[in-house]
Amino acid sequence: MELRQLTVLGHEIRASVRPGTEPGPPLLLCNGIGASLDLLQPFVDALDPRIGVVRFDVPGVGGSPNPKLPYNFALLTVGVGAMMTQLGYDEYDVLGISWGGGLAQQIAFQQPRRCRRLVLVSTATGSIMVPAPPSVLRKMVTPQRYRDADYAVQVAAELYGGQMRDRPDDVRRLMHAHSRVGSRRGYLLQLLAGAGWSSLPGLPFVRQPTLILAGDDDPIIPLVNARIMERLIPRARLHVYADGHLGLVTSADTLAPLVADFLRPGGEAL
Amino acid sequence: MSSSTTTRLADAAAPLDVLLVDAALGPVRRFLPDMSTARWAVSLARRPRTTARRLGALAGETAKVVVGTSDVTPRRGDRRFTDPAWTENPLLRRLVQVYLASGRTVDQLVADADLDPRDRKRVRFLVENVVEAMAPSNVPLVNPASAKAVIDTAGLSLVRGGTQLVKDLASSPRVPEMVDTSGFTLGENIAATPGSVVFRNEVLELIQYVPQCDEVHEVPVMIVPPTINKFYAIDLSPGRSLVEFSTQNNRQMFVISWRNPDTRHSAWNFDTYVGSILEALDAVEEITGSAQTVLAGICSGGILASITAAYLAGIGRQDRLAGIVLAVTVIDNHDAGTVGALSDPRMAALAKARSAQKGFLDGRSLAEVFAWLRPSDLIWNYWVNNYLLGKKPPAFDILFWNADTTRMSAGLHADFVDMAVENQLTRAGALTVLGQPIDLGKVTVDSYIVAGIADHITPWENCYRTTQLFGGSTRFILSTSGHIAALVNPPGNPKATFHTNDEHGPDAKAWLTGAETHQGSWWNDVAQWLDARCGELKPAPKEMGSTRLQPLAEAPGTYVFDK
Repeated sequence: MELRQLTVLGHEIRASVRPGTEPGPPLLLCNGIGASLDLLQPFVDALDPRIGVVRFDVPGVGGSPNPKLPYNFALLTVGVGAMMTQLGYDEYDVLGISWGGGLAQQIAFQQPRRCRRLVLVSTATGSIMVPAPPSVLRKMVTPQRYRDADYAVQVAAELYGGQMRDRPDDVRRLMHAHSRVGSRRGYLLQLLAGAGWSSLPGLPFVRQPTLILAGDDDPIIPLVNARIMERLIPRARLHVYADGHLGLVTSADTLAPLVADFLRPGGEAL
Repeated sequence: MSSSTTTRLADAAAPLDVLLVDAALGPVRRFLPDMSTARWAVSLARRPRTTARRLGALAGETAKVVVGTSDVTPRRGDRRFTDPAWTENPLLRRLVQVYLASGRTVDQLVADADLDPRDRKRVRFLVENVVEAMAPSNVPLVNPASAKAVIDTAGLSLVRGGTQLVKDLASSPRVPEMVDTSGFTLGENIAATPGSVVFRNEVLELIQYVPQCDEVHEVPVMIVPPTINKFYAIDLSPGRSLVEFSTQNNRQMFVISWRNPDTRHSAWNFDTYVGSILEALDAVEEITGSAQTVLAGICSGGILASITAAYLAGIGRQDRLAGIVLAVTVIDNHDAGTVGALSDPRMAALAKARSAQKGFLDGRSLAEVFAWLRPSDLIWNYWVNNYLLGKKPPAFDILFWNADTTRMSAGLHADFVDMAVENQLTRAGALTVLGQPIDLGKVTVDSYIVAGIADHITPWENCYRTTQLFGGSTRFILSTSGHIAALVNPPGNPKATFHTNDEHGPDAKAWLTGAETHQGSWWNDVAQWLDARCGELKPAPKEMGSTRLQPLAEAPGTYVFDK
């Protein structure tokens, strides 16, 4: 776990690089809305040590100060490209979870030469998607669940589903113990970045081999979204796992090997 | 950057509790005319003759300026008007003379008025800031350097400056960028001394530094850094690092790195911080096997270290301390410089309420307050450099550290403000921490106290008063320069001196009169003082941590990266 502070296009970005034990493109993780890179630690720990992993905090989230101006996914992709160049990676694989899944699709679409493979977890196609029930969406509008552990426990089952229904208290450990809370403004700008954005028309043009992971009990992203993405992305494969929205973290021990198999040559069953 | 500039920049400061109160309320308040200003106006109106005389004199001077017979010149050392154009261009010369004459007249009017000291200080502050802001050197194209830059760059300097201005105003702190951060990488050329995080809790990471000698003294030193900004003021660039210097001098060094708290941690207060220092102390004892530790503290960290020492004395476990070192720490706030003038109990209450509402005090607003306390050096200097000339600010490690702000939890903020306003640490039992009444007089271990002679945040006379508070024997050292520059004092600077005097009477001035001056840095002096109290030399440990406390991360750790 190697934290560092980078200056990318005039913004200070907190990033973490786990060097892989073997050469090859690293895996870039794009996190969910309001979440700092620390939350993905269980997944990184479970992932094959041969694969290098790069994580970063979007401006205004976790350990990165607020962005100077509002941004959208396309601009953020330019920033991510500059960051990876700075870190010395020309080619990389991208994994996006939830909101970060939107960014990951944008990266795949915008950087076809640099992004080798794509993994989409608990994510959908942006503003044109099959939405969650309003009661769930309402709780997603503020970063309250990141700021108030008791509130997070209270809404964990309804919001995240899966294992969180039986162990809502785990949310404290997963989302609070080591996380960094960004600003309210940072969260709103993240919401804004996704406003009006949809990957739907672009998906047929995504050339990368794609692995889609979706939980069968994810209140935020109904499963049908994953099926739509699988249908539209030419080289996509869908794997449905038995867990909720935070499956990548709560079921890291079963999902990380799947991701590693998909990323490493020899793990190609497409 | 010359060392004198360095020193001056590092000296730009103000008393701790002013900073804490002001930062919560915002610096704008200072620029708005208030009751003090009104009283000033009334006082001037009551003395029409004096006032008329002053204004008449200004009119006369202005007439002389226009004719060209005025001999008003900038103060020596006024860097704003050093360009020859300010004196040789007849128009610019007249502009500067009118500006200076007006400024001086306003100053005199403040001096003439019949005001109590508190009002006078507040008015002076407001007036100085306004006069400072209106300097002709701050105006693009009027400033000859900026006019030349426009010609040299075909106008690009204004474009660059304009872009920079928009960027700086877009996000707080809304002050000119003071440092080019791109040249510094944490852990590589700043905060780069090798070590490991050997203990971590919610509040802090404890860093153990790798000894850079074959032998180390048995008794380790643990440093409690300030809770404002990051810990690496004591580990700046290699060669300018107190930690590095110590590890090269047979010292076992442990340094706390505070977590940057957010809204979830608003309840963290003295109890939380002192409790976590005690946990870190346990870890140091477990790792080194030493029954004693020297506890060191800097600025607000020094306050926490003193409370911790008094707590240990209170529960009868003072034997765990081999000594106390306090750098630039004010414990007795009585009449500290401008405090009485700039903050009052009502403001203090308001400030506490404001930070409680947010959950924390934002370090960036502290940075803004900090900058506006010395506007000439910290605002207008960069205003000209960044916006008028379109140049990049200098790269300089102290400024890099200064720009790396942290939040302060609302609980700690309130405790610090109360402590300062009520001067709690000077009265036995006025403060209770972790259920233990705090009495500094019970602390009987030796203490080493160092202050900077030009320090504005923690005036040295106030630091000196600590010598009267502790029960043990004390060595007080007065170093050259100000708050941070006094701290960052690597040996080898020919200009560095320090004063010593073993007669610690109640009067600071008398102490200084009787003091002798030594060439060199106090770093060497404290090293000798520690050598005498840190036991025998033994082979340096090969491994970091202990069997139970395994290294968790490389220095500078993970908390230091939290923005």
